[in-house]
Amino acid sequence: MKPSPLHALAVTLAALLPLTACSNGSGSDSEQPEELVVGMPVDLTTWAAADAAWGNEALYHQAVYDTLLRTDAQGGVEPGLATEWSYDESMTRLTLELREGVTFSDGTAFDAEVAVQNLLRFRDGASENAANLSSVVEAEAVDADTVELTLDAPDPALLTYLSHNAGLQASPETFDAEDAQVRPVGSGPYVLDEEATVVSSRYVFTAREDYWDPEVQLYPKITMQYYPDATAMLNAVKGGQVNVTNLHSSSQAADAESAGYDVHLSPVNWKGLILADRGGEVEEAVGDVRVRQAINHALDREALLDAMDHGYGEPTAQIFGPDSEAYAEALDDAYPYDPDRARELLEEAGYPDGITLVQPQTSFTPASEFELIAGMLAESGIDVEAEHVGSTFIGDLLGGAWPTFRFALNQEPLPWMTYRLAIAPDSAWNVYDVEDPTVEKLAERMRLGGEDGAAASRELNEYLVEQAWFAPFYRLQGIVVTDGSTDATHKVGYAMPNLWDIVPVS
Amino acid sequence: MITYSVKRLLSGAALLAVLSVITFFALRLGTQGVAQQIAGQSAGPEAVALIEERYGLDRPLAQQFLSWAASALTGDLGRSWFTGQPVTEAVLSRLAVTVNLAVGSVALTGALGVLLGALAATRRGWPDRLVQVLSVLGQAVPGFVLAVGLVLLFAVQLRWFPATGYTDPSDSVGGWIRSLTLPVLALAVGSVGGVAQQVRGSMLDVLRRDHVRTLRSRGLPRRRVLYRYVLRNAAGPALSVLGLQFVIILSAAVVVEQVFSIPGLGPVALTSTARGDAPLVMGVVLVTGALVVLVNLLVDLLQAFLNPKVRLS
Repeated sequence: MKPSPLHALAVTLAALLPLTACSNGSGSDSEQPEELVVGMPVDLTTWAAADAAWGNEALYHQAVYDTLLRTDAQGGVEPGLATEWSYDESMTRLTLELREGVTFSDGTAFDAEVAVQNLLRFRDGASENAANLSSVVEAEAVDADTVELTLDAPDPALLTYLSHNAGLQASPETFDAEDAQVRPVGSGPYVLDEEATVVSSRYVFTAREDYWDPEVQLYPKITMQYYPDATAMLNAVKGGQVNVTNLHSSSQAADAESAGYDVHLSPVNWKGLILADRGGEVEEAVGDVRVRQAINHALDREALLDAMDHGYGEPTAQIFGPDSEAYAEALDDAYPYDPDRARELLEEAGYPDGITLVQPQTSFTPASEFELIAGMLAESGIDVEAEHVGSTFIGDLLGGAWPTFRFALNQEPLPWMTYRLAIAPDSAWNVYDVEDPTVEKLAERMRLGGEDGAAASRELNEYLVEQAWFAPFYRLQGIVVTDGSTDATHKVGYAMPNLWDIVPVS
Repeated sequence: MITYSVKRLLSGAALLAVLSVITFFALRLGTQGVAQQIAGQSAGPEAVALIEERYGLDRPLAQQFLSWAASALTGDLGRSWFTGQPVTEAVLSRLAVTVNLAVGSVALTGALGVLLGALAATRRGWPDRLVQVLSVLGQAVPGFVLAVGLVLLFAVQLRWFPATGYTDPSDSVGGWIRSLTLPVLALAVGSVGGVAQQVRGSMLDVLRRDHVRTLRSRGLPRRRVLYRYVLRNAAGPALSVLGLQFVIILSAAVVVEQVFSIPGLGPVALTSTARGDAPLVMGVVLVTGALVVLVNLLVDLLQAFLNPKVRLS
């Protein structure tokens, strides 16, 4: 019998399969996996510690760098390269005692002088978080193992900042190196395997020998695979190619679960409108608190959560999360959905025919979501016109091009961090630099921390909600999924766990 | 042939120069706020100013271009503004992956296209109808839809192949074949019908010519006539189509590499263009442009080799 072409194709495929039938290697059947494969939704911006970003990029840095301090999953400060720390009575002088005998992966010794240089380079560098060290006016190496920081005013978030990118410690040999952006030299638990790494795609790390804290070296090898495409990420999960990842979208959670992954939820961001022009500088109507309150009453938060994020979140009218000292449960429902009340407020403010706002339609907001929000606001007499902008609109946005706009901001673990991010007159997301005496008085009390600082942060939260500086929709759940061989503990306020909180399941 | 090749290479160089100017100004004029993007969304004005100064973004555009062009002429394409990786290293390391993918797809397209085209021309019947159907399907089904379908069936359901990623042949030949099989299929299936149609048409045309009838009447075996005379004469147009397919597959690879998360030029092209990473975009454009020029030259030279009557001028 003469074989048909289809038969020939089948034979060829069958012949190829034995060649190809080997494991894809994202895990193993043994109790202690040889490798951890992490799916990353964002690429690394730079390895240069002085310019480093944090947030979703933190895992990359935690692999190769140590920080002066660490924070645990609940946000508690723990020793890192600094073993002890203390403030003076004025809270403006911080003394750090450093770990002895630590070396960078190039053999250079870590000491107080190196720590000082790293701190000052970060403060004066190009990181988006450089301002986190803006309170540090002086850094001095008192002796080989002691650093003293002098602040211009108390900074209740400084210890936490030192556990993030502001505290990263790089070898001084990299400070002026041309390849510092692509070749990290840290004292951390892993070293980058440059041979196996493909920049902007796959980053491979191998455990360092004689690392000072072997307990955090839970895997001999870690691969961080960057998936720029949401579909590719989901396919990798369905195909069992990653052990742990932070999903691009809540719509993928059900698919991951049915592929056998455990889903870990934790509130990360708040999504909503930033009513930035509180002074009415560009759009007079937004300067009126009644108009801002009307916008808040015009939002059906439950409906928005279901439509845009499949219910993975909690409706709220406050920007502080449940893990923050400033949080007050009652404020979640401070502005119930009430189009009639919204119209009344607009009328009281002198806008009986409603108002029109121009908002940017960006890559963050799909057209369908923009129309949904605009349609909801229109029912209360608030018309929204879309201005189509490209993916590089952030500069215009921060420059104050739009009086109100939709965005998602991190729910920081400390109230002071939220103040520094979006409330302080010089903060990035107070784009019109609005200064309010009540806010600043409360901030002065928050600076000093303690019980009064916590009380002040709650008062600040109430004041901001009452003044409707923002119109949050809901707290969005961050979704981390782990396969059967892996477990992870979410870190408060962050999309991904600490690297050492991703552990093999024995 | 040497004079012809030199002339073609010179015109190719001129084309690349024009392409560079257009790309640079289109990209830089169409992308605002690059320094803010590099520094990060929450970066303050001081950090943004530092970035502008570091990369010369505070200089006039023409000056920026001339500075880039002067370095490029010495072989230095600079570094990516976002990753800091040397552009030459970033592009060439990924070019190898994309070329693997494109060559595999073109080879599969060529082999299946010639086989099906020859069957359709000589046997007619079902092979002929299959070629027609494949040709229509190839144009109707977008590559990324096919790619997603292949992943769902062969990677997610059957687990025969990995859903994403690329294995270098130096690490594992088996892994390399596994990682390329689905992307190559996704790229090739759409092109096979077109090439088969071209081969079929050219062969039918040659089969009707007098010299073929003469050869047959002299009693030469049918198979010898087909493969030695008909197919060779019909190979010219098919080769032109394959050359064109290479360029088409190179473009389609941008999306397919993204779907399969393959570290080729595609994701780099997409990401760097969206970010406005001018040095990297310029590197990608220059290298892919040069590749297209070389492939077209190679196709012309092969045409001349296969058919000496083709004049190179």
